[in-house]
Formats: sequence, C-alpha cells, structure tokens
Amino acid sequence: MANIFPRYTNFLPLKIAVCIGALAIGVVLAVTYYATPKAQRVGYMPDQPIPYDHELHVNQLGLDCRHCHSFVEKSGHANIPSANTCANCHHKTKGNIKSDSPRLAPLMDAIDNDKPVQWVRVTKAPDYVYFNHSAHLNRGVSCIECHGEVNKMRVVFHAKPLSMGQCIDCHRAPEDALRPLEEVFNLEYDVRKFIEKNPSAKSSIQEFIAGSAETEDLDLSKEDDAQKAMGLMLKERWNVRPKESCFTCHR
Amino acid sequence: MSKRKWNHPEVPAEDLGNKVWRSAGELEDTPGLRQWVDREFPRASEQMRDEEDQETTRRSFLKLMGASTALAGFGLAACRRPEALIVPYINSVEWSIPGKPSYYATAMPSANGALSLVATYHEGRPTKLEPNKLAGTAGVGSMAQASILDLYDPARSRNFLAKGEKITKAAAIEKLEKFTKSGKIGFVFGEDDSLTRTELITQLRAKYTNAKFYGYEALAGAGRRASAAQIFGKHAVVKADFSKAKRILSLDSDFLDLDKQGDTKGFYDRRRPEGADYNEDPIKYAKELNRLYSVEPTYTVTGGMADHRAPLAPSQIAAFIQDLAAEISGGAASGKFDADKTAWIKACAADLKTGGGVVLLGSRYDKELHDAVYAINSKIGAYQTGVLVARTEKKHAQLGSIEDFAKDAGSLDTVILATPANPVYENPSLGGKDFNEIVKSKNVVQWGIHVNASANAADLHIPAAHYLESWSDGFSGDEGRYTLVQPLILPLYGGIQEFELLTGLLGDKIELHNSLSDDKAVSPAYTAVKTTFEKKVKVSSDAFANKTNFKDLVRTGFTADYKYATAGNGSGVAAALTVVAAPTSPAKPDVVFVTDYSVYDGRYINNSWLQEAPDPMSKLTWDNAAYMSPQTAKDLGLYEDLVELEKLEKAWWANLGIATETGVKTTPVPQDGGGPSLFGPMVKVSVGGKSVDAVVIVAFGMADNVISLPLGYGQGYDEHWAEEFRGGAIDYDKDSSKNVSSVGVNTGFDAYPLRNGQDYFAANTEVTVEKIEDKRYKLARTQEHHSMYGRALAREISTLPAVKTGGHTQDYAKQLDNVAKQGLDSHVPQNISLYKFEDRDGKKHLWDQSHQWAMSIDLSTCTGCSACLVACQAENNIPVVGKTQVAMGREMHWIRMDRYFAEPGHADHADDLKLGEAPSNPSQDWNTPLEVIPNPVACVQCESAPCETVCPVNATVHTEDGLNSMAYNRCIGTRYCANNCPYKARRFNFFDYNKRNPLLHKNLYKGPLGEKQVGDSKSLQRNPNVTVRMRGVMEKCTYCVQRLQSAKIDAKANVKKAVQKSGKPSYEFNADGKQDMNKMLMAPANSVKVACQDACEAGAIVFGNILNPDDDIQKTKKIKEENLEANIQGTYANPRTYDLLNYIGTRPRTSYMARVKNPNPAMKSATKVGRATIHMH
Repeated sequence: MANIFPRYTNFLPLKIAVCIGALAIGVVLAVTYYATPKAQRVGYMPDQPIPYDHELHVNQLGLDCRHCHSFVEKSGHANIPSANTCANCHHKTKGNIKSDSPRLAPLMDAIDNDKPVQWVRVTKAPDYVYFNHSAHLNRGVSCIECHGEVNKMRVVFHAKPLSMGQCIDCHRAPEDALRPLEEVFNLEYDVRKFIEKNPSAKSSIQEFIAGSAETEDLDLSKEDDAQKAMGLMLKERWNVRPKESCFTCHR
Repeated sequence: MSKRKWNHPEVPAEDLGNKVWRSAGELEDTPGLRQWVDREFPRASEQMRDEEDQETTRRSFLKLMGASTALAGFGLAACRRPEALIVPYINSVEWSIPGKPSYYATAMPSANGALSLVATYHEGRPTKLEPNKLAGTAGVGSMAQASILDLYDPARSRNFLAKGEKITKAAAIEKLEKFTKSGKIGFVFGEDDSLTRTELITQLRAKYTNAKFYGYEALAGAGRRASAAQIFGKHAVVKADFSKAKRILSLDSDFLDLDKQGDTKGFYDRRRPEGADYNEDPIKYAKELNRLYSVEPTYTVTGGMADHRAPLAPSQIAAFIQDLAAEISGGAASGKFDADKTAWIKACAADLKTGGGVVLLGSRYDKELHDAVYAINSKIGAYQTGVLVARTEKKHAQLGSIEDFAKDAGSLDTVILATPANPVYENPSLGGKDFNEIVKSKNVVQWGIHVNASANAADLHIPAAHYLESWSDGFSGDEGRYTLVQPLILPLYGGIQEFELLTGLLGDKIELHNSLSDDKAVSPAYTAVKTTFEKKVKVSSDAFANKTNFKDLVRTGFTADYKYATAGNGSGVAAALTVVAAPTSPAKPDVVFVTDYSVYDGRYINNSWLQEAPDPMSKLTWDNAAYMSPQTAKDLGLYEDLVELEKLEKAWWANLGIATETGVKTTPVPQDGGGPSLFGPMVKVSVGGKSVDAVVIVAFGMADNVISLPLGYGQGYDEHWAEEFRGGAIDYDKDSSKNVSSVGVNTGFDAYPLRNGQDYFAANTEVTVEKIEDKRYKLARTQEHHSMYGRALAREISTLPAVKTGGHTQDYAKQLDNVAKQGLDSHVPQNISLYKFEDRDGKKHLWDQSHQWAMSIDLSTCTGCSACLVACQAENNIPVVGKTQVAMGREMHWIRMDRYFAEPGHADHADDLKLGEAPSNPSQDWNTPLEVIPNPVACVQCESAPCETVCPVNATVHTEDGLNSMAYNRCIGTRYCANNCPYKARRFNFFDYNKRNPLLHKNLYKGPLGEKQVGDSKSLQRNPNVTVRMRGVMEKCTYCVQRLQSAKIDAKANVKKAVQKSGKPSYEFNADGKQDMNKMLMAPANSVKVACQDACEAGAIVFGNILNPDDDIQKTKKIKEENLEANIQGTYANPRTYDLLNYIGTRPRTSYMARVKNPNPAMKSATKVGRATIHMH
C-alpha cells in the first residue's frame, strides 16, 4: 500500500506541538503582562473638566492634602472637594483668583447655576474592595504609598498599580511604609533627612535597632535601611498588625 | 446528593416521651417529608422548571454567545475600564461626611403610639431604622423595620388620579376647590394621636363649620377604647407597666407584638432568670420572675411565651371572664367549663391575687368584656399598684368612628380620606352597605402612598408623602411623651404631606405645597408642627420655657417634659356578660378575623420584605390561610390531604386470588420539588351568606372548632401567577390588578367580605365551613426548610422546686446546672479537633488580641417575632426571592427563625399508627400543654468550621477576630460549604435576585432577556457597606462585619488621639512599651451593635467582644479571664448558656441560653411545663 502521507509530514506533529506550545507561552506571557493592573491602570490620565494642577497648589502654594480632601482622616472615602471649597479662592464673590478664566468655567457654573462639577475618577478600588483611607492615614501610611507623588503631578494620573499584590505586600511588611504621624501628609518626606533633623528620633531609632539581632545590621545612612528601622520601630510601638485575612478588604 | 448523616447520640430515655415537631408532616413522620429533608437542595433546584424554560434559556444562551463572539473583535475597547464620574456637592452639607452615615431622630406614627426611631442616613438616603434608645425604644419590630422599604417602593403613588386616571396638579386643585366649596366635608384620619393634627382640625372646624371629623383604621380595636373612655374619661388609654407586673393573664391579647398594651421592656426584664442585667443569682431571683398565662383561640407570639396556655374559642372568652370574676370578686360561674378547666381558672385566679397581677384583654373584644376585665383588674389591684396606668390622650377634638361616618354620610358632600387605612377594600359591609355604595354620590378625595382600591375608586387621589418624608408629631406608646416625626428625605415621588394637605385646605385659596418642586420654600407642614410646639408644648410647663427649643426636639426626637396626664383609677360597673355555648361542630365553627403578622390590616400588601418574612407561627410566606386545629381539620376530612400518610392501595394482584396480602404501601412524594406541605386543601367558609374559598393550614395549639382568618390579603390579581399557584382555587376580583404592585398580586384571599361592619368575630350560628374537593392551592412555607438534625437544639427548664424527669427528681438549681448537659452533651466525650489552635510555642494562630466577637441568644426572652430577620434583610442587602422560589426552599434570610412545637409527655404515636389511619392529635386539654419554642439560627461562626475546610477556593475563611468570613467575590458557587454546614445557615443565590425582578412571572428563568430592576428606587435603600451578591454566590451571616470593621477602624485612631494629647512626637509614643496596646486598639464596650440585636425588643440578642471585660457579652456568657479558654470550647460560667450541636465539636461563637419557664406549682400541668427541650431526628 502506498504511503498516504508524504515524507514531510513525519515532523508535522512535532511542529504543531511546538507552535501550539509557543503560542500558549505567548498567550500566558501576554496575559500576565497586559492583563494586570500594572499594565492596565498605571498611567491612566483622563481629561478633567477643570485642569486642576496639584503641582501648583501643593508644591508652589503649599496647600495641605486635607485642605480639599477634608475628611480623609475621618472617613473611608477621600472626598473630592465640594465646589464651595474651590470657590472660596476662585469665585468672584470670594477670593476672586482667576475667576474669569475659561478653565474655571465649570466651577463658576456650579456655584452660579447649580450644576455640579463632574470630575473624572482616576483611582478606583473594585466594588468588592472596602478600602478605608482613615484606617491607613491614622496609622502612619502616607498618601504617596498608593497615589504616588501627587504633589508633582500637573495632571493627576494613576501612578501605582493598586493591585491586590500591592496591598498584600504592604500588609505583610508595613515597615516599608510607616512614617511618623506628623509626616503622613508631607509628600516631601525623606526618612534620612527626618532622622537627621530630629535628634530624639535618631537616638530612639539607634536604641531600637541595637535592641535586636535582626535589626542591628541596619545602616541608617541607607534609605531602605533607615525606612525599615523607622518602620519596625513604629510598628512595634503603635502595635501595627495589618490583617491578611480576606475579610479585611472583602466582605 | 444525599447529605452525609451525622450519627446523633441517642435521645435520653426521659425525653423520649417529649414529642417535638415543626409541621404536621413531621409530627406524622411522613415519607414525603423524610425525602424532602434528606435532600440538601430540593430536587427542582437542579433542573430547569419546565420545557418552556429550557427552550428560552438555551435559545437566549446561543443568541448571547453568538453576539458576544461577534463583539469580541471590537472588544479591545473593554480593556480600559469605563470612565466614571465623581460628582461632589456644590456646597458642603452640614454634618455630612461622605462615606460616613449620619443619624437622625424621627418616629413612626401608629395607632399604638409613635415609635421613636433613629434613622441611618447615607449621603441623603435613609437606609435603616434603629431604635431611639434615648427615648426608651427597646427595639424596632418587623413592620417598622420594613416601613423603610415602603418609602422606596417603586410602585408608590406619584400622580394625582381621578377615578384611576392621571390628572395634573392644577386639575386636582380645581377639583379640590369644587369639592370643598359647600363645606360639608367628612374628614377621615388615622387613629394615631398627633397634636398638630388636632390643632389643624380645630382650625378646619372653624373654617368649615359643617365639616365632620372621624378617625379610622381597620383593626385598631374600638372596644378597648370605648371602655377606657367610659371608665377613665374621654380619650383615655390604658397602658400596662410590665416592670411591675408579676402575674399576667393575657386573654387573647398579643401584647408582645400586634396588640401592644404598653412598653414591653419591663416584661422581658422580668423574664430573664438572672435579672434584667444578668447580674442576679437565678435561684434567688426566681421569685421576681413574672408568670404569663395565656388564653387564646390561635397561637400568637405572646401565647408562645406563656407559662400556662389554654386554647379557647373566642366566643368562650366571655365565659372565662365571668368565671375568673367569680373567683376573684365573687358571683356566679358560667358553668361552661368542666372540672379540670375550672380548676385551671381557680389556680390562675388565686395566682393573680398574689400581687402584681394584671389581666389583659385583646383589643378586638367588645366594650362589655373590657368593662368586666376592668372590674377584675381593680379588684386585684392592678391600677392601685401601677401595673396598669390610664392616661389621657391629647386629642381635644372629638373624632367620630367609621360607624358614625356611615350614619352621617347623608349630610356630607365630600369625603376626604386621609387615613393610612384602605376603607374601600376593608369595608364591604359597613352597616350592611358596601363602602363604595355609601360614598357613591359623594366626592371622594383620597390621600395615600399606594394606589390601592380606595385610591382607584376615589374621585381625586392625592399621592402622599411617606412618614420619612413628612413633618409630623405624635405621642409615644408608653407614657405618651411628645415625639417628633422628622423627614429624612424630600418626597421621592413628589408626594404631599398630610399637614400640607390640611394647611392647603385652610387657606383662602387651596394650595398644595410640593416639597420636591418647591424645595426652596419651607413646607407648611414644618411651620405647622413648629407652631404647635411653640404654642402648645413649650408653654406647657416652666421646665420647658427656657430649656428646650425646637432644635433640641429635632435632635433628640422627643421630649419627656410634655406627656399624657394620668387619669386616675377610674370607676365603672361591669354589666352581666352574655355567655354563649361553645362551638361544637367543625362545620359550624367560630370565626375570628385576626391581624396579620406580615401585612397588618392589609397596608403592607406591597411590602416584599414583610410578605416574605415567614409568619412567626405558621411559617407561611406570601399568603394567608384559614387556620384550624388538627382535630377540626380531621373532622372536616382535611387532615389526610394535609399530611399525606403512607396509604394502602389495592395491589394489581388483588384480583388474582393467589396472595393473601393484597395491599401495597404507596408513598406520595411531591414531584415538583416543593416540600410536602406545598399544596394545601381548600375550604369554603361562609358567614351570613357571603363566602370565600380559603386554603387550610393546620395550626397546632388552636382551639377546636375555630377558624382564624388573617385579614389584609387578596387585594390584587395577575393571571400568570394565578395559574402557577393553581390559584383557580381562590377567587380574585379580576379587575383588582391595579390595586397592588407586582409584590401584592395573588397573595392569599380576601377575608374582609366575611366581616360584618367592624366585627372581629363571626359566631358559629352564622358560619358554615365545607371542604372543597379536588381543589388545592400552592403555599410557600419555610418551616421544614433548612432542617437541622440534632439533640437538644432548643433547651427548656422550669423554676419548679422539684421536677420529675424520667427517673430523676431535679430542682431548679440542678436543672440550671444540667442545661449544658442536656441531650447527652455530658456523655459525649470532648471532641478532639484535628485543627491546632496554637503553634509549637503556644502562640495562637489567627488571634486578634483586641477583638474576639461572640453572640448569645436568650431563648427565655426570644418570642420568635422575626423582627431580627427583617432587620438583617435591611442591613445586609438580602434580596427577596418570591413565592415560587421560597416554595423550593430558596429563601435568602440569613436568620432562620426555627419554631418548634413540643408536647411533653406525648406518646410517640407514629409507631402504633395503623396504615391509612390519621393519628391522634395534641388535645385541647388545658393540662397537657402544647408549647412553642423559637430558636433563631444564623451562622454561629464556628471556631472549627466545617464549611471552611471544604471550600475549594478559600472563599470562606476564618478571621483573626473569630468570624467565619465570606469573600463573595471569591465564591464560585460549588455549595460544598452549605452541604457541610450542620446548622444549615448558608444561603445560595440560585438566581440574580438583585438584578432580575423575581416577582414577575417566570422572569428569573428568562436569563438576560428578563426584566431588570437595577437602579430602581429600591436600590436607594441598599447599605453601601455591604456587597450586593450576584447569582451563583453563597452568602450567610457574618455578624454585620461592616459594623465591626468600622468600629475597629475607629479604634485605630486612638493611638493618634493619644499622641496628640501627649504633645510628644508620635515616634516616641509607647517608647517604654508600657502602654496596653490591645486595650487601646479595642472598640469601646458595647459600642458595636449588630442589626438583629438592635431590632430585638426583647433584648434577647447580646453581642460583643469577649476580650473586653466591660462588654455586655460578659454578663450573658460570664466569661472570666481564667476560663476564657474553656469558654471557647463551649463551657460557660453562666450555666444557662449552651452551644448548639456542641457534641460535633464546631465550637460556635454564638451560644444560646435555655428558656426558663416559671410555672404555677398549683397547676395540674406544672410539672409538664418547661420540658420542651427539642430533639430532632
């Protein structure tokens, strides 16, 4: 009986297998990269009705985060300021700063014509995540840990992935993020500078790291080590024990 | 699919004679029931309902798949998440913090007195009602809880209607002008006492001199009011102070639930064996406990609490009162009772005389009976000792009754119905005439929140604002404190407030303020209430003048400085009572029209929470039924239809003559996935020539030859549902579909047509009952759903000094000690768990040092009223599933209110039953008590939870603070956890009940093509802190985890507060490590209250943190530092506390406290009371 399949088909199954294998690996790699929050969310920078400039207001004018996001220490939500907050400086009947700027037209519309400003949401936790701002800020986690350096953003954008991995990493090792409560809203905070400036903090930390074999090798002149030393000390003193069970965020 | 069976230990010999059951099927142990309870999920849950459904679903599935594949090419757009907007306020709202609820005091007006409430308020939406503890409100019952759903009801009236046709507001005002021109107006108001209304009535009287004023609500009970008015003077109401009542005889008065006769807190305080605050020695305190006697035709929630209960036909109450009066103050006995019953009455009367005695007669009885009861109460000193206090209401404007209205109707041109009642529906026979006929030639103006029969019949219907949208006032139900009703939200549908209507009529030109469109203007209702306060309340006493202003009133919601005056002890002479013979024939029974636990008088027909909340006694949802005792059902030939026994049928070989055994047993097993009580038989009940067809339910503990018919159902019709429920059996007015929303269609039958005028009873002489052959009606009853097996589920003991149980004689102390050892818990060895709770160094796994939550449920005070169940539904976004789904056992309530019947000493008669023969039934003998014991079961949060180990995706895991949490987003719906749960506390979303409206016929089965209800007004009620679960997700109680989390987060700020207080840098805080950080991060004692606990009027649910020594949970569980470890394993310092199914070693966090009954030793039945420990097998 003649051969039905020509000779070149001998390797066909192998070729097909290799191709499918390569394709599968490609799909897996693509999904792991593109379908993660890191690729999907970071860099999201929607147009806002008013091109509000955080850099200008925070860095140049020195406004505190809580001037506008006023209930962030009290509530789970970080509130977007109501129009009257902006109007205090900008409306012609109040501070009258740039009140005739066309960029501020939506604000004036809100105050004068009862049409609220429709800001576009940048950061969003999924509906099944119950994130609470006050719980974090009151325990020494700064805005910057999740939102990035907002004080340097001319247009606000999604700076960090805010994936579950990011949450879990920090809940496992809160020492990487903890800072003194006074410095939570200081977006320029640098742990080494802080230690240098506050002799009492320095002595405290030195005493603390000397107290245990695990921490005695920490070098306070290195940023990572200094943060770790500070974080570990605060964690112990304030009894910071972030939970890792599901119900912490999901319920 | 059969679930794994745990071999429960043997029932102790002495408990074998204690027959317990939930339903007739269980009592007779029918095969159908066995098959039903054996299945974890009913058969039909596994399959499509019928071929049509399969077709629809498959077709739609293919359609969708095709469509989505086609769209996949354009799908990249979906990679970015959709743009979402944040819209902040223009001007910040005072006190409002986005993301945090605020709380406002308000009150729910009712004929029984205003109920002071605190409304939880999320960004402009009231979402939940809690008791105003400041005003002394102990709890919020199921109807008040569910009233918030009425606010958001999408079917609420939103238009002006003329004879059911929509008209404009201008046209409506024009009509109103025309109607009121002659001034011959009859105003009909509700029965609640509002000072502002009284003021406005005075003004209306001045303007419309020919106007007449009436008060009407269908089931408010005129007899009691009339009697009080005669004895104590005009507008007197008599309220009981239960804190002083030690011996209570309830004569068909459901004073704990539907027929409130005063604040019940004192009653429950005297029901706790360890004292009101759980800090007394139970043995010494036993003499302070109250004792409740209950004499009633049907089982009520109050009857369930009774220490001694006697079933008695309503016509015999008069005879009972006469005999009681004869015992107490002398006189002739009625001679209607046999020796045993007379002895019962004697013992009861003697006990009532021992001090602190009181007799409470149901509001539904006639004035003469109330007069007689007044004489008894005076004789036993109830008024002198302050157990009963008469107070005078503030109604200085006399309101006529509905009967007066019927008489006066001829002289009126216009009728304005501003009552929450539904007079057209409720009065088919008012003085022999239909209400519609009475008002036929009148102009009828109706004001109401629903488009019901009255609204559709009216010449002008005005959409009303809900009480949570209105300014009003009232007086509290106990002392009559002045109470403010404050609106929480602008009228959602532009409804008109009652006082806006009244003030509108007072002006020169009629105006109707609409708060929604005229939101900048102050509502005249506000002005009216404020004026009343300034002119009437504030000037009433010096205490007031400078101290309290309107703002204070708005803040607290009430004032204790202005209340009803006491009215003295009264005087009156009781006339001789007419005593009639007891009904003797089941075909000519007594009929009693009762208030319904779900729809009240019919006003909550459109409230799906209440409709789906099972009746506390019959566990019936979505319907009403004709209730009768087992014996009556048997005599009518119905019992066999209700309880399908194994029947002997003729075998096919019977005619061959070869075998002697010619009968085969057949086991009727319902095929459509429902429980055995799915289809009920029907009877035709006729009263005075009018008849209704009603479905029958056997009600244990009812008096024989009595039929009770709950009112308020059968208001609307829908042909699709009618077919499915085989509702051909029930006659509906086919034109009534407009009178209800999709919630209220085809629920039950309307019993009002049988009612003559405002009568609550029909005497047996004018009643006939006959069985309707071959007609059945579908019922959805939850009593056999989620059945729990096991020993000693609900435990009961008695205070008697010596009770013989089996071979042992036990006194009260011994019984208390043995509570935790009931049901062989003492014989089963301590379970050794495979889990390790500590690591090798003895450090606990998953152990929060600051919070360990626990709950205790006191069966001594739990009545089974189901308020907790509705509160849970409101708090936790629990969907309603509809009657069809409930019938399949798919109700979603996280709390299952188990209700067991028990008859101690009853022989286990299932065995000696002959084939085909109906067994004997619990007797009418007053000395063989039939007890009811409720047992609320939600997830008990096991320490070693069987559900956690079987979840393949770790969606249900343990938490550091002792909860058994659910990560809903993780659940894939395998249902293994529910299979493995010995408490049957888990509920599965078989459909997307939240998204697809389950109340439309077959809507759930239409898949994506079905009608959606996303974003309708009901979703405004949702709690934003609780996930709304979707299809295919398992859910259950997690101790209101949202409230726990919020309390813990609030406590986290304590460190910051301490730092700020110390003035030192934060990093130096606790540098010496001497701060008690666990204590610092602990939520303050009793700061967290879970929803069911808040709702419970009895305070039967105590919740707290067992690590906090000041928490109330310490009182009920008595946990001390040294036995903390022991406690977690289920042994408690308080002997009355026990764990449910302790012997399977799940170590639950919710524990129960045994019910303590306080029987009268002089009663013949005393030793049988307090032995209703429940063993299910």
